Amino acid sequence: MNNEALQHWNNSLTGQSEGLSSTEDLFSTRRKAGVDSFQKNGFPGRRHEEWRYTSLKSLSEEGYPACLPHEGNLPEVDELITSSDIRIVLINGVFRKDLSDLTALPDEVRVEGFSDFRQRANTQEIENFDRMLPLSDHPFQSLGDALLDDGLVVTAIGNTDARIHILHAYDGTDTSGSAHITGMIHLEGGARLEILEEFRSQGQVMGNTRWGIHVGDECTLSRQRILRPGCDVVFHGSRVEVGKAGLFQDLIAGSGSRLVRNEIHVSLNGAGGHTDLFGGYVSDGDEVVDHHTTIEHAVADCTSREIYRGVLGGKSRGAFTGMIHVHQDAQRTDAKQSNDAILLSRNSEMNTRPRLEIYADDVKCTHGATVGELDEGALFYLRSRGVSLEEARRMMVRAFTAEVFGEIENEGLREQIIEQLQAAMPASECVT
Amino acid sequence: MSENEKEGSMILEVNDLHASVEDTPILRGLNLNVKPGEVHAIMGPNGSGKSTFANVIAGHEDYAVDSGSVLYNGIDLLDLSPEERACEGIFLAFQYPVSIPGISNAYFLRSALNAVRRYREESEVDAVDFLQLVRSKMALVGMDEKLLQRSVNDGFSGGEKKRNEILQMAVLDPKLAILDETDSGLDIDALRIVAEGVNALRGGDRSFIVVTHYQRLLDYIVPDHVHVLSQGQIVRSGDKTLAHELEREGYSWLDSGDKPKKSEADQKVQEAS
Repeated sequence: MNNEALQHWNNSLTGQSEGLSSTEDLFSTRRKAGVDSFQKNGFPGRRHEEWRYTSLKSLSEEGYPACLPHEGNLPEVDELITSSDIRIVLINGVFRKDLSDLTALPDEVRVEGFSDFRQRANTQEIENFDRMLPLSDHPFQSLGDALLDDGLVVTAIGNTDARIHILHAYDGTDTSGSAHITGMIHLEGGARLEILEEFRSQGQVMGNTRWGIHVGDECTLSRQRILRPGCDVVFHGSRVEVGKAGLFQDLIAGSGSRLVRNEIHVSLNGAGGHTDLFGGYVSDGDEVVDHHTTIEHAVADCTSREIYRGVLGGKSRGAFTGMIHVHQDAQRTDAKQSNDAILLSRNSEMNTRPRLEIYADDVKCTHGATVGELDEGALFYLRSRGVSLEEARRMMVRAFTAEVFGEIENEGLREQIIEQLQAAMPASECVT
Repeated sequence: MSENEKEGSMILEVNDLHASVEDTPILRGLNLNVKPGEVHAIMGPNGSGKSTFANVIAGHEDYAVDSGSVLYNGIDLLDLSPEERACEGIFLAFQYPVSIPGISNAYFLRSALNAVRRYREESEVDAVDFLQLVRSKMALVGMDEKLLQRSVNDGFSGGEKKRNEILQMAVLDPKLAILDETDSGLDIDALRIVAEGVNALRGGDRSFIVVTHYQRLLDYIVPDHVHVLSQGQIVRSGDKTLAHELEREGYSWLDSGDKPKKSEADQKVQEAS
């Protein structure tokens, strides 16, 4: 990124960060560290190994450095079919109690805005926060730290179940900008949460969301993230620690976003822990979809599964980097990773980097990556039964992502996700 | 019957059809006329062009039509996309049915049925009506209902795949069905079940073209006409007894160029061309 562009960010950061730190909380050191780190490192270029396939150049455009105003409207999109009556709304990164409905929240589950949390947090809670989201020179983390303001803190302790729908809405119609959201999820005592995180956006907007997640012993967190069409820049980072017999399931689905970078770092810290990381997308035009995952098998007897599948048209690019790190003591690890892509056009591109580091000797680790084209035989078969070429192509999206979305229990939601992706299927380039 | 009346009553008229695959000519002047309700068998050795013919009629893009014409109910078939042909009532039972992991057989069948119904300006069937329809058709072909929820042909046995083809045929209710080597890979029991399914769909104006290497299938699906395809042309036509003759004599006479004497079974089906 050139100096002038960086200057926009730096000016913007200093002012905004200082403004935030004039409020009473214990996070001003953290903000300062974020500003310093970003000013030192800026956005990495594509020479940086971790950003080789994703250019952040467009973020130097004017408009992004400013924070979006706290007020904004909900972009119009069909409501998702969810099975949750607990609904949390964040607009432009601000937790909106007035638009949220927490009445059905069980006693064992607490939800509060991050700005409330940061003003009341005690030293131990801050230590906990620092452990779950450690300081780093990661550009989006640094921005999140520098502009630490609002977000969510969800705590569930005890034998409880809840389904929560979180709607992130970004309104960049009048003024472009960014929103930086910090979230924490803390599960203990066998709690089970399902979280559906939905992203809606309009206009030139960068949504920077990061989560620190603790899935305690015998707890379950099932998370589904859905990027609705029309998002501009989405950064989403999660650091997850999973305890004994804990379960972290994650799914990300999307289409029609200009630039998506999804980073997940899961550490399986207790025996019997399991994680599922699933993703499915359809991309077109100049879109970029980059999934970047790390699974730490830190102890013995944990299992993990990763399946990411993308259908890429136009000049869109996909990237997948999947690190599986099996520590020396992590015997009897069972890890499966797969990444598959269908390229619809000559100019679409997929880059896959599986990375396995295995230091234990009794492990099962498999990884596979495929890049192919639409199955012409299947297309003809469908057409020979009367299905039009375009519908047959859309059916192939359903077929290809079946493994990713097949485990979504809510059939209505599953269909809605598949239909969104099907609708994003680029038209065939040569109709015959 | 005058020539004109005869023309008008044809469901399929193939005239001097030449087609090639990857620039290799396969069909070299094929002529065939099929009337509504007739069952025609096309026999011939491997490489004679049987499957090419079936795929050309269905509209497979790997097969290029170089010259000639195909009229289906009087319209130019070669002008239509594969899906238009299907909607117009042509059905190809594949020699090698394609498996589509991730699409359930039920979803596939309902999508196909509704696509055809939309084309015919009929209302789409909902899940309940569809299930009722498909169950009755599954009974017809002796198919296990569990196969409805499985992915299309994925992990199906050879017999299940072929039955699935006949099930699709029964659901889509075509006017002209082409069975491409439906007998290949089937044991005698599976063959009988598939043939019974086909026979149950015979009748009325529905026409069949049964493409097969062996006469065996024709014991169960008894054709009105039998044609021998060799090097991309129909070289002999007759009634069902021709199939038995071929069973006895094989196809070697085709290679020697030494045509066996015309049997009494011969008919001049190709006269119109």
